[in-house]
Amino acid sequence: MSFFLQLLFSGIVLGLVYALAALGFVLIYKASRVVNFAQGQFIAIGAFLAYWAMVSLGAPFLLAAALALGLTALLGFGVERVFLKRMVGQPIIAVIMATIGLASLLDGLIHLTPYGAGNFSYPSFLPAGGVTLLGVQISYAQLLAVGFTLLFLLAFTWFFQRSTLGVAMRSVADDQMAAMSLGVSVERVFALAWAAAGLTAAAAGLVVGTISGLNLDALVHIGLRVFPVVILGGLDSIPGAVVAGILIGVLENLAAGFLDPYVPGGGTRDVFPFLALLLVLWFKPHGLFGTEEIERV
Amino acid sequence: MRNPWAQTGNYRTSYRQDTSIFATHRELVSLLLFLGFLLVLPQFLSRTQVFILDLILVYSIAVLGLNITTGYAGLINIGQAAFMGVGAYTAALLAPQGLPFWLVVPLGGLVAAFFGFLVGIPSLRVKHLYLALATLAFQVVFEWTVGHLPLLKQGGAMDMPRASFLGYEAGFRNHFHFWYYVALAILVILALFFRNLLRTRYGRALVAVRDNDRAADAMGMDPGRTKLFAFALGAFYAGVAGVLYAYLSRAVVIEDYTFAVSIKLLAMAIVGGLGTLVGSFLGPAFLELLDVNMEALSNLIKALGFSVAGVDVASALRPLAFGLIIVLFLMFEPRGLYNWWRLVRSYFRTWPFKY
Repeated sequence: MSFFLQLLFSGIVLGLVYALAALGFVLIYKASRVVNFAQGQFIAIGAFLAYWAMVSLGAPFLLAAALALGLTALLGFGVERVFLKRMVGQPIIAVIMATIGLASLLDGLIHLTPYGAGNFSYPSFLPAGGVTLLGVQISYAQLLAVGFTLLFLLAFTWFFQRSTLGVAMRSVADDQMAAMSLGVSVERVFALAWAAAGLTAAAAGLVVGTISGLNLDALVHIGLRVFPVVILGGLDSIPGAVVAGILIGVLENLAAGFLDPYVPGGGTRDVFPFLALLLVLWFKPHGLFGTEEIERV
Repeated sequence: MRNPWAQTGNYRTSYRQDTSIFATHRELVSLLLFLGFLLVLPQFLSRTQVFILDLILVYSIAVLGLNITTGYAGLINIGQAAFMGVGAYTAALLAPQGLPFWLVVPLGGLVAAFFGFLVGIPSLRVKHLYLALATLAFQVVFEWTVGHLPLLKQGGAMDMPRASFLGYEAGFRNHFHFWYYVALAILVILALFFRNLLRTRYGRALVAVRDNDRAADAMGMDPGRTKLFAFALGAFYAGVAGVLYAYLSRAVVIEDYTFAVSIKLLAMAIVGGLGTLVGSFLGPAFLELLDVNMEALSNLIKALGFSVAGVDVASALRPLAFGLIIVLFLMFEPRGLYNWWRLVRSYFRTWPFKY
């Protein structure tokens, strides 16, 4: 039983990371119908920026985290201004492929830095050990990750429900024409969505980095895991991203815990989310909370 | 059609003329001349140079398939390398049993087509992006499955036997030459099929469904079945390319069929010009030659001492260049190299007049 609870808890922590990463993805998709294949690269850039600030500049964790969040948000903003803005009005295939190209481009840029290969970990700033609850070992890093993620999600909820900008973004997602006629700058909302995506990606990168260390391939892979999450949750649903993120995280952890002994070579956690993705696409393509597209001639 | 040899305008007066492959005799003759040139070309090149040509030919076949799924039917496929891999692993299992290569090639294509059909099933209900994600999921599941199957040596090298044809053995010296001619022959057949596809109702249905699937539906086409057909056909091309790649490199390794290769194939299709026949050759040729020179470039950077400790320049330059090329072409020349080819050709066609 405690084995199951242990898997469940670490699955929830992992799922919260996925939820954060998926949140940024859904924001962009909702605002501009663009699918961001570069989310994994954003995550990696955010995580390594914090590492760089801590190790090379000697900044304390909070300052480094703030710097990473800010710079990655700026990067998202810049990417929208330089590349995506010029592609407005092009067929959706072209835009999707542009973000695939962008992902490859950012990948190459990270490989040009010393962080391209090898494992890194943040200088430890937390006491070792943790607390035991119901027979489940919870490290301080995990505890911090859960707190940080929940704080982030709460802040985003407040932003979308209460702030003027958040309401403007929701209105653009709902109906671009109507929003425009009410004086909302759609262009600004697009750029903001990308900045917010950069922000959440960096947050996800920070959380992963604190829990399990930094490795470029692993971080970029989280960007791919976002797809099963958003498909399961529904592409345009923010609560869906959070729920599905936790679901996928738990599912993949349980699979790893209970199925790996029976699979030669193990590693079921790498494939399970994608099997789930294929199944969802076959049987419930619009996910748990996504709006079903109804087409009229 | 005043003069069958030269044409300065469009003189087509019947539907039959409009669907003809060659507008003038000159086009046919120049194509035949070019094919003849390709036939004698390897005799003047070294083995490594022929190997690069082989790679271009094989990738051209895979890109032709991609141009059917993504170019004609408008379904983004980011798992084309996995379909190549299905063909290659089929070959790795069948060829050592003593099957001749001319049987293994279509079989590999058919197995890949079956998987393409499976992956395309969601297209019966959803569009664009969801399908791109289905192909992505297939790519990941494929890599994982191969990496865990002892039957496939868990992604390690599976040896491929040498081939022979009508008593002609492909040995060490003529290996690349042998596969050059085989790949060229298969490419010509598949390219002819590709070119003719748009003259059939099946091919036209692909384009109709891409442009507006509701209108196509209203006119009696079945969008779901058309998309499945596109997926299966594109995967067939990839499977054939995979078998050829397996024979060519004499071993099947998972590294040749990863996500990065899928991106490379997509870049080739975009650079060449999506949905164009000529682009399917220009794109692979351009990117493969770039790839070869990338190694030289990274060696140059290393020799000049610009490299930082712990940085692998070669592995950084590749994704950087491919990504940059995809983005730049999409932004500034979405019609690809094919458009440049078209401009050059129309200049010569009307020469000495300006238009």
